[in-house]
Amino acid sequence: MAKDLLQKKKTKDIKIYCDITKCVGCKSCELACAVEHSQTKNIFTALREKTLPKKRVRAENVSSKIISLHCQHCEDAPCIKACMSGALSKDEKTGATLHDKDKCVGCWMCVMVCPFGAIVRDVENHIAVKCDLCPDREDFACVVACPTGALFVGTKEEFEKKIKQKKKG
Amino acid sequence: MSEKHIERSYDAASQKMIKKADEENIKIAWDRYDAMQPQCGFGELGLCCKVCNMGPCRIDPFGEGPQEGVCGATKDTIAARNLARMIASGAAAHSDHGRDIAHALILAAKGEAHDYHLKDTEKLKRIAEIYGIDTQGKSIEKIGEELGESCLSEFGRQHGELRMASRAPAKRQALWRKLGITPRGIDREVVEIMHRTTMGVDNDYKNIINHGMRAALADGWGGSMIATELSDILFGSPKPIRATVNLGVLKEDQVNIVVHGHEPTLSDVVREAAKDAELLELAKKYGAKGINIAGMCCTANEILMRHGIPSAGNFLQQELAILTGSVELMMVDVQCIMPALSGVANCFHTKLVTTSPKCKFPGVEHMEFKEEKALEIAKDIIRKGVENYKNRVKERVDIPGEIKGLVAGFTTENIFHILGGRYRATFRPLNDAIISGRLRGAAGVVGCNNPNIRHDWAHISMVKELIKHNVLVVQTGCSAIACAKEGLLTPESAFEYAGAGLQEICEAVGIPPVLHVGSCVDNSRILLILSEAIKEGGLGEDLSDLPVAGAAPEWMSEKAIAIGFYFVASGVYTVFGTPHPVLGSENLTNYITNELENVVGGKFAFEADPIRAAQMMIKHIDKKREALKLPPLMYEREPVRMSNNG
Amino acid sequence: MSMDYVIVGGSAAGVTCAQTLRKHDKKSNITVISDEVFPLYSRCLLTYLLAGSIEEDKLYFKDKNFYKDNNIKLYLCKRAVSIDRKQKKVSLKDKTKVSYDKLMLATGASPKLVDVPGIDKKGVFTVRKIDDARSIMKMLDRVKKIAVLGGGLIGLRDAYALSQRQKEVTVVVKSPQVLSQMVDMQAARIIASVLEKNGIKIMTGVAAGEITGKEFVEGILLDNGGKLQCQMVIIGKGVKANTELASSCGLKVEEGIVVDEFLRTSDENIFAAGDCAQTYDIAREANRINALWPCAVEQGEIAALNMLGKKIAYDGSLSMNSVDFFGLACISMGITRPKKEEDYEIISQAKGDVYKKFILKENRIVGMVLVGDIKAAGIISALIRNKIDVSSIKHLLLEDTFNYAKIMPLVRKFQERFKQEEYKDTVITY
Repeated sequence: MAKDLLQKKKTKDIKIYCDITKCVGCKSCELACAVEHSQTKNIFTALREKTLPKKRVRAENVSSKIISLHCQHCEDAPCIKACMSGALSKDEKTGATLHDKDKCVGCWMCVMVCPFGAIVRDVENHIAVKCDLCPDREDFACVVACPTGALFVGTKEEFEKKIKQKKKG
Repeated sequence: MSEKHIERSYDAASQKMIKKADEENIKIAWDRYDAMQPQCGFGELGLCCKVCNMGPCRIDPFGEGPQEGVCGATKDTIAARNLARMIASGAAAHSDHGRDIAHALILAAKGEAHDYHLKDTEKLKRIAEIYGIDTQGKSIEKIGEELGESCLSEFGRQHGELRMASRAPAKRQALWRKLGITPRGIDREVVEIMHRTTMGVDNDYKNIINHGMRAALADGWGGSMIATELSDILFGSPKPIRATVNLGVLKEDQVNIVVHGHEPTLSDVVREAAKDAELLELAKKYGAKGINIAGMCCTANEILMRHGIPSAGNFLQQELAILTGSVELMMVDVQCIMPALSGVANCFHTKLVTTSPKCKFPGVEHMEFKEEKALEIAKDIIRKGVENYKNRVKERVDIPGEIKGLVAGFTTENIFHILGGRYRATFRPLNDAIISGRLRGAAGVVGCNNPNIRHDWAHISMVKELIKHNVLVVQTGCSAIACAKEGLLTPESAFEYAGAGLQEICEAVGIPPVLHVGSCVDNSRILLILSEAIKEGGLGEDLSDLPVAGAAPEWMSEKAIAIGFYFVASGVYTVFGTPHPVLGSENLTNYITNELENVVGGKFAFEADPIRAAQMMIKHIDKKREALKLPPLMYEREPVRMSNNG
Repeated sequence: MSMDYVIVGGSAAGVTCAQTLRKHDKKSNITVISDEVFPLYSRCLLTYLLAGSIEEDKLYFKDKNFYKDNNIKLYLCKRAVSIDRKQKKVSLKDKTKVSYDKLMLATGASPKLVDVPGIDKKGVFTVRKIDDARSIMKMLDRVKKIAVLGGGLIGLRDAYALSQRQKEVTVVVKSPQVLSQMVDMQAARIIASVLEKNGIKIMTGVAAGEITGKEFVEGILLDNGGKLQCQMVIIGKGVKANTELASSCGLKVEEGIVVDEFLRTSDENIFAAGDCAQTYDIAREANRINALWPCAVEQGEIAALNMLGKKIAYDGSLSMNSVDFFGLACISMGITRPKKEEDYEIISQAKGDVYKKFILKENRIVGMVLVGDIKAAGIISALIRNKIDVSSIKHLLLEDTFNYAKIMPLVRKFQERFKQEEYKDTVITY
C-alpha cells in the first residue's frame, strides 16, 4: 500500500475520491488531515498548538449516505482565476492546484468561487487553506487514516475501474 | 420562512418555542443534533470498542479492514459488550432511584425525616408480606422500617432471588431459573456486567446478553419495582385523577417553579412546600398571584399521578420551558437533565438549581436536598424562585397557549377496582374483554424523545394506530406526556380514535383508551398488570402467552435499553424505533430480534415508522390470540393489512 | 504559421491572454504594451500594500520572469495612442508602431473623479496604480486625518487599509448606506458597525462640496454645510472604462468596448477583455461591465482562445465581490439589489452579525449576499452560474450546515447543466 501511494505522488492528475457506499462518517479523515497540517504532526500535541490546525476535508451527509469532500484539483480551476495575488497556481507536472500561503492575503476570492466549497478560511492566520495532496509525506494522510477504504487516491480512470471491479465482485 | 420548527416537533407549543429559539439565536437540542451530523457509523453500528488501552478499536463493517479488535474480540463480542453496558447503566439509574426511596422510607419510619409519612399503610403491609415481614401486632413505623431495610438489602444481596421476582407467574420464574437468569442482587448483577464486559472476560455474545437480561430483571423486578412500590407507600398510591399538560400550564401571573428529574422524594415535598402561606405571601408581595409548580420528565409523572400537578412537557421540551421566559426557577435532581440547561437559563432570568450531589453543573448553584430537612430545603428553593419573580422580563414572556387535560393515575391495584366496579377488585373484566374479542389485547407504549425522530409524532401515531385496532394502551414517561398533549389520555378520545370494541369498554368503565400508569420506574407496574392478568386466568400461564406487546418509538436513554430487556426477558415482544447499536453484528442482531423468542419468549424488533411498528405489534398480538385459541375479534373480521412490505 | 499577437494592457486580462496564447502557440510573436511603471503586479493588492500588510515584492501575481520565460515582448511605460485598423498597426506615444495580426484591448478602467473645486490640491488621490500607492505612502507621515470620498467597495477598502496605518479615517457617503451597489441596508449596517467599532468614522447622506487648503489639502467642506479637517483625500468613486483608444479608431463603444460572445469587437481582428469590455452578465441577462479580477482573468483567457481561432464562446461574467474588514467577511454576487423586489423571491435571515440573503427568480438563484458566514459562497456561485433550479433545496440555503453535499442530488439529476468535469467526479459512486 505504501509503495502504491508513493508512486501516486508522481502521477499526473490524481486527487482524492470517496466511495460513498463505504463512508461511515467517522471523520478519521478530518482528524488525520488536521494533524498532518499541524506544526507537530502528532494528534496529542496538535491540540495544544497556539493556532489549531485546519482540516481541508469534510465528511457531510448526502441523502442517506455520507461523503468525504476534498478539493477536486480542477483542470480549469476557478480558484486560480479568482486569485488576485497569484497564490493559487497549477502544477504543470502533476495537475494539482497549489496554494502558496506566503502569497496569500486572505481576500477569500477563492472561497467565493470554489464550486465545491473546498477552500476554507483560516481566520486566525488570515489565509485560505485547501487540500494540498500532502506534499510533506510519502502518502496521503486521509487515505491512510480511512478505516473502511472509502477514500481512494488516483486518477479518475483508476477510481472508476476500482468501482466497476467492486460491482462485479 | 423555514419550516424547521414544524419538522422538528409535532406539538404546536414546542413548535412555537423552537421558532423562538431560532429567532433569538439560542441553540437547542435540535441544532446540536444537526451540527453533529453525520454521526459516526462505527458508533451507530456498535462496532467501536473503547474498553481497554490496546484500543480504541473499530471493526470494518464492509469486511475489508480489521474484523477483530486488538484483543481478538469479534464484532459480536464488541457489540454485545457495548449493549450490556447500556443495560448496566440504565439499570443502575433506576436502581439508584429505588435505593433513594428505600432510604427515605427508613428515615420516615424511624421519624428522622419528618416531612415524609407512611401514607398507604395497606400497601405497606402487602409489600411487607412479600418480604416475609410479619405484620401482626407491629406498628406501621416498625413495618416501614423493616420493609425499607429489607429492600435496601436487596441491593447488596449476593445469593438467592430478589423477592419481587416472586410476583411473576410461576412458569416465568421457573424459566428464569432454568436459564440461570433469576436476579440475585440488584447491585451484584450490574457489577457483574461491568466485570464481564471489561477486557478479557466474556466474549460469547449470547452469554453476555443472557447476563444482561439478568441485570435488566434486577432492574424491572428489583430496583424499579422497589422505587414504584415504596413511592406508593410513602407518597400515596395514585388514583385516577385529572391533570393538565404542556407548556400552557405555565402561568403568566404566577411564580413558575419547574421540578425536573426523577425522584419524588424531591418533587412530592416541593409540591407540599409550595402551599406554604409565608411563601404565598411573599409571592403576592412581588405581584404574583400564586406559586405554580409544574413538573418535567418523570418527576412530573410522579406528582401528576398522585396529586394532579401539571406537567410542562417531556424530555425535548426542557429547554423550551425556559424559552417561554416565564420560569423563575428550575430545580433538577437526576437523569435526563440536559447540560445545555445552564446555557439556556443564562439567556433568561431563570435560575437553575441542582439538588443532588450526583448531578452538578459547573457554575450552577447547588442546594443539596436532604430528606431529613426536606420541607425546609424545598421551601428555601421555592423562596429563591419567588424572589426571582421580580427579574422576569415581561416582554420576553411567551407562554404558548397549548394545554391539554388528561386522566392519569392508573395502577395495577386501582385497575382492579375500576374494571371490577365498586364491589369487586378483579382483573376478570379485562381478561374477559380480551378473551371475548372485544379487546384485541394490550400494549405498553413508553419511552423518551429524540431529535432523530419528529418530536412526539411517533408516540402519537403509534398509539392512535393501536387503539384504532382495539388494543388497550398503557403508557409511562415522556411517551405518556406526548399522547396526553394530543388529548389521547381522556375518556372522550375513545370516541374519536378507538376501535368499536375498545370504545365499548371505555364507555362502560369510564376510562380513557390510553392509560397513564406513571413514570419510567413505573414500567414495573406493567409487569405486575401482566402478572395479574395471568393470575386471573384464561390467557395462558406465562407472560409470554399474553396477547400484548411493548414499544419505545422515540427512545434515547440507556434506561430504555434496560427496560426493553426486562420486558423481553419477561416474555414481551418489544419494538424500538431506531435500532439498538447492534446492527454491525448480524449474529447479535439476529439473537435479540429472533432467537431470543425461543429462549425467553420475547424479542426485540426495530422499526422507525410508527405505523408499521404498530402493525407489527398488532400482528404479534393476533399471533398470541391464535395460539391461545381465542375467538376472532368482535369488531374486526379481517386481519390488519401490513403496509407495503408486510 | 507564425502570427503577431499584440495586447494593449498588462494587468489581469492582458497577462492572462498572453499566457494563454503562449501555452497554445509556442512559435508566434506575442507583444504586451503596458503604460505602467511596474509590471505584473496585482492592483487588487495595492490596498494591502497601503495597509502595510505586504511589501512591494509581494505584489507580483505572476513570476517576475514571466515575460522572459514565456518569450513575450513587453513594452513597459509605453502608451498606445492610436490604432490603424487598415494597416493593422498600433501607434505608441513615442511614435513606435507595432504591427498585429490579432489585437487584444485590455486597457482597463480609470478611477472616476468628483467634480468639486480643490481636487487639484496636493494630497488628493485615487488608488488604482502603484504610482498612486507610492505617492500616498510617501505622504503618510505628514497626515493625521484622511477623508475617503465614496462608500463603495473601493472607498471602504481604501479606508480600511489606511486605518491600519493608525490614521483617523472618515468615509463620506452620499447614499444613506455604505456599499449601496453591492449589499442591502441590513448587511450594510452590519459592515458599517464593524468599521465604526474599529475607529473608522462613516458619514452618510453627505458629499464633499469643496476641498479646502492652500497648496496642500487641509479639509473638506461638506454639502450640508459641515466641515471636515483632513490632510489627505482619497476618491473612491468607482471606475470608468478606458475606451478612448477603441472609440478613436471607430470601434463600437457604449459604457465599455462592445464585444460579442467570442469577445470580438466590431472589428473581427480586434478583441477586448477586462475592465474595459462590456460582456454578458449571467445573472442580469444583459450586457454590462463587471470590473472584477476573476472576470478579467477568464475573459483574457477566452479572448486568447478566440484569437487562436478556437471559437470558444464566453458564457458571461458575474458581478462578485469579497471583502474582509477586521475579520468580518462579506461576499456578494449577481443581482443583490433588485429594482423591483416583487419580481423576485427573497430568502434571507439575519442573526447577530451573520446575514444571508438569496435572490431567486423562477427558482433559480440570481444573487446572494453573505455576511459573516461565507462558506457557502462558492457552492451558490455554481448554482447561479449554471442557472440551476433549486426548488428542491431552497429550504436548506440558510442552514448553517449548507454545503456541497446538499446540492449533490441536483448535480446527479442535472449533470449536463453543471459545466465542469469535476462535478461528475464527485457523483461517481452516488
